[in-house]
Amino acid sequence: MGSKSTFFKFFVVVTLVVLLIFQILAMKQSDRLYERINKLQKDMGNMSFSSGNGSPASSSDDSKAGDWLVRRIGSEPPTLNPITYKDLYASLICGSDGGNNIFETLLTYNYDTAELEALLAESWEISDDGLEFTFTIRDDAYFSDGTPVTSDDLIFAYETIINPEIDAANLANYYKDVEGYERIDNKTVVFKMSRAYFKSLEMLGGIPVIPKHVYQFEDASEFNQNRADPVGSGPYLFDKWDVGSQIVLTRNENYWGSKPNFKKIVYRVISNDKAALQALQSHTLDVLSVTPEQFVKYSQDEEFCNNFHVISYWNPSSGFTYVGWNSESRFFKDKLVRQAMTHIVDRDAINEHLFKNLFRVTTGPFFFMGHQNNPEIEPWPFDPQRACELLDEAGWKDTDGDGVRDKNGVPFNFKLTTVSANETGEKMCLLIKDQLEQVGVIMELDPYEWSVFTDKLHKREFEAVTLGWSGALESDPYQVWHSSQIEGGSNYVGFNVPRADELIVQARATIDPDKRNKLFHEFHAILHEQQPYTFMFNRKSLVFIDKRIENVTIHKLGLNSKEWYVPQDKQRYH
Amino acid sequence: MFQYTIRRILLMIPTMLGITIMVFSISRLAPGDPVSMLLGPEATLNTERGTEIREAQMRQYGLDKPIPVQYVIWLKHIICLDFGQSFKHHRPVIELIKERLPITVSLNLIAFTIIYLVAIPLGVTSALNHKGWFDRGSSLVLFILWSLPTMWAGQMMIGYLCSPEHISWFPPSGLSSNNADTMAFFPWLADRIWHIILPVTCMTYTGFAYLTKLLRAGMLDNLRMDYIRTAKAKGLSTFVVIFRHALRNSIIPIITIMAAILPAMFGGSLIIEKIFTIPGMGLLAFEAVTTRDYNVIMAVATIAGVLNLTGLLLADIAYALVDPRISFEGGE
Repeated sequence: MGSKSTFFKFFVVVTLVVLLIFQILAMKQSDRLYERINKLQKDMGNMSFSSGNGSPASSSDDSKAGDWLVRRIGSEPPTLNPITYKDLYASLICGSDGGNNIFETLLTYNYDTAELEALLAESWEISDDGLEFTFTIRDDAYFSDGTPVTSDDLIFAYETIINPEIDAANLANYYKDVEGYERIDNKTVVFKMSRAYFKSLEMLGGIPVIPKHVYQFEDASEFNQNRADPVGSGPYLFDKWDVGSQIVLTRNENYWGSKPNFKKIVYRVISNDKAALQALQSHTLDVLSVTPEQFVKYSQDEEFCNNFHVISYWNPSSGFTYVGWNSESRFFKDKLVRQAMTHIVDRDAINEHLFKNLFRVTTGPFFFMGHQNNPEIEPWPFDPQRACELLDEAGWKDTDGDGVRDKNGVPFNFKLTTVSANETGEKMCLLIKDQLEQVGVIMELDPYEWSVFTDKLHKREFEAVTLGWSGALESDPYQVWHSSQIEGGSNYVGFNVPRADELIVQARATIDPDKRNKLFHEFHAILHEQQPYTFMFNRKSLVFIDKRIENVTIHKLGLNSKEWYVPQDKQRYH
Repeated sequence: MFQYTIRRILLMIPTMLGITIMVFSISRLAPGDPVSMLLGPEATLNTERGTEIREAQMRQYGLDKPIPVQYVIWLKHIICLDFGQSFKHHRPVIELIKERLPITVSLNLIAFTIIYLVAIPLGVTSALNHKGWFDRGSSLVLFILWSLPTMWAGQMMIGYLCSPEHISWFPPSGLSSNNADTMAFFPWLADRIWHIILPVTCMTYTGFAYLTKLLRAGMLDNLRMDYIRTAKAKGLSTFVVIFRHALRNSIIPIITIMAAILPAMFGGSLIIEKIFTIPGMGLLAFEAVTTRDYNVIMAVATIAGVLNLTGLLLADIAYALVDPRISFEGGE
């Protein structure tokens, strides 16, 4: 108890003390995070490991080296461990999606030819039956701490992935056909597959090779808890992680290959889309993916275009969106009804109205520039007349004159299950709803939170659903389309055509690309005929990039940030 | 007093049990589980081996047991202050909280200090200027501020105050600039302050109205009292009359508000943290809920619950300290 002034003093003192305590706590916390890093750096001894202050003179091409690249991530990934990560952002930072920044794989896709080429591998061989894969690791490849990359590292990575105690179940599933491996010598490993599979080479060549001497563990949970270590074979190294605000990679001055241009890559966490765009405009960000609306708005702004590269390109990994019709529901059992649905949905109008014609109407699950796609298939046109005929033929007629089609006394009134809080998706669904109403079909939106939504999908408790699949240059339709995947798999809509099953199985086991793609073409035609989904759009990748960055070119596989550079006079960070 | 405090503390135990049982059952009964949330719908867990792995993970996390058993296990750990591991981060929950708590608490302390520093003088002045232009004007402004939704105000600030198209005074997100590491201490501090101005503004502006009005009402009541007239008649200076006599008696309701501050400081504000990308407790709790990270949800709920109850207890004790008329001793 005291006078008013002591009360005030007390308040100030408490405030300051608490602030101080938390500041100390915060510092301690980050100390703990870097304890391991410091230890590792010490272990490296006299290696010329440098973080941040490396001299540009050591780089191969002085005029292009230097500066930082600042990118955005929407939320913080839980881990940067290349084996246990599961989210998109971690794969951009440390996975092969982001261009093998920290860790490298044996093989990688060439940006221009879209063919697999050697990265850590010097050569690879496939036996004639497609069951044995021999990889030889480059002699000159070494990790940033100076130890050479050997077969032991590769085997360690593989063993870790398939270890059931390691939290990498989704990755392990890709390697379930591997029967075993044989270590030939220090640089050569042979993997044996239990059956021929057309994606085996991509899968095996895609194992992220991690340094065994750094990552080896006694207890699986030790590995599961490992978030990031500053040792890898890639052009960049993990440098710093400011919780919730940024992740920094720094150039690997010991990189065995040709050194990258940027001294640092900074991934800033910005959860708010609007704030991200502002950050780009105030030059705090260098690269930003945007929505079609933003893209159209700013690409017409002359001043903006003087300051930023405005880029749009097709990217196989962005996949496609669709409306799936549950073939077990009483409405969509009949393929005529499903065809009719596709005829009613005016995909061109939606593309123009909502996506400013930046998307592309698609007819199947394969990337349209890839070889799997059947080029002869044209999208079903928008044709309400034809749709009405099809619905009549299927028995859905308006018998009671209330404007809604019915069959056996059941009105054609179904629910479209969607993910809630997705603005563009909702607008698209409303457009579809309007279009359906005009032919006497009532559709109601049934939005759910993500977890409930996935639960409904797994239990197949829906009539129609809208979602997207991410894609790949070469994708495997088994998981989504084979009839064995109806129970427990991803064939939620219950697509079940025996000939399609045969084609999928046969194509998966065919190593010869021409023969295989013929089978996929036939499969694509069956999908087009059956319309288990109304395939909607391929999405274009839309990106704004700061103009001080030069040599931004669009390849067949999109953008390659490794070739970008900033001329000396425009460099912003030193 | 001492007896009263002990009794109150003992009463907190059943209340906490109730809170944790509620939160525990609500989070477990919600659809989805951390394993499938992490794996997502595209995960290819469709093979026999996949199911095996999934079940192994459920077992590893102890999620295969019935819910009441899981609760008892959780309770057993919590008594030893072990909050368990986060499913998503694979790290002890307490570590995650330690990383984020300083940020939230620092911001909230700054915000509350500003609220009190502004609201108390404003309330006093309003009361002295009863029905004058300052009183009416400040009421109007405060109520306008009070009714602006933070979500909207935050977006507007980012849209207009951080944009090169309009006024580019402040950074739109985060707590520091890209090259903050290379700065010396004072430029670093300036950079940090520059970054937190907008979030702190968002946190404070709605708080002014409530406190100011509360204090103004209290002051008005007290200024009418006989003892104030007596004090004035004794010839005490206006300053002493107002600050030593009237204000001290008006400050009691403000203490109640302070009781609510403690849990709020810990919980943080999801909206503001999300808009300005501030890695605080609100964002952590939100992500935990969306990914069904049970242990994080439970830890945040438990700690917030304890702080809430402690805040209420502290407020009651503070009443007795500040106001001699209130006493917990003796007969009831």
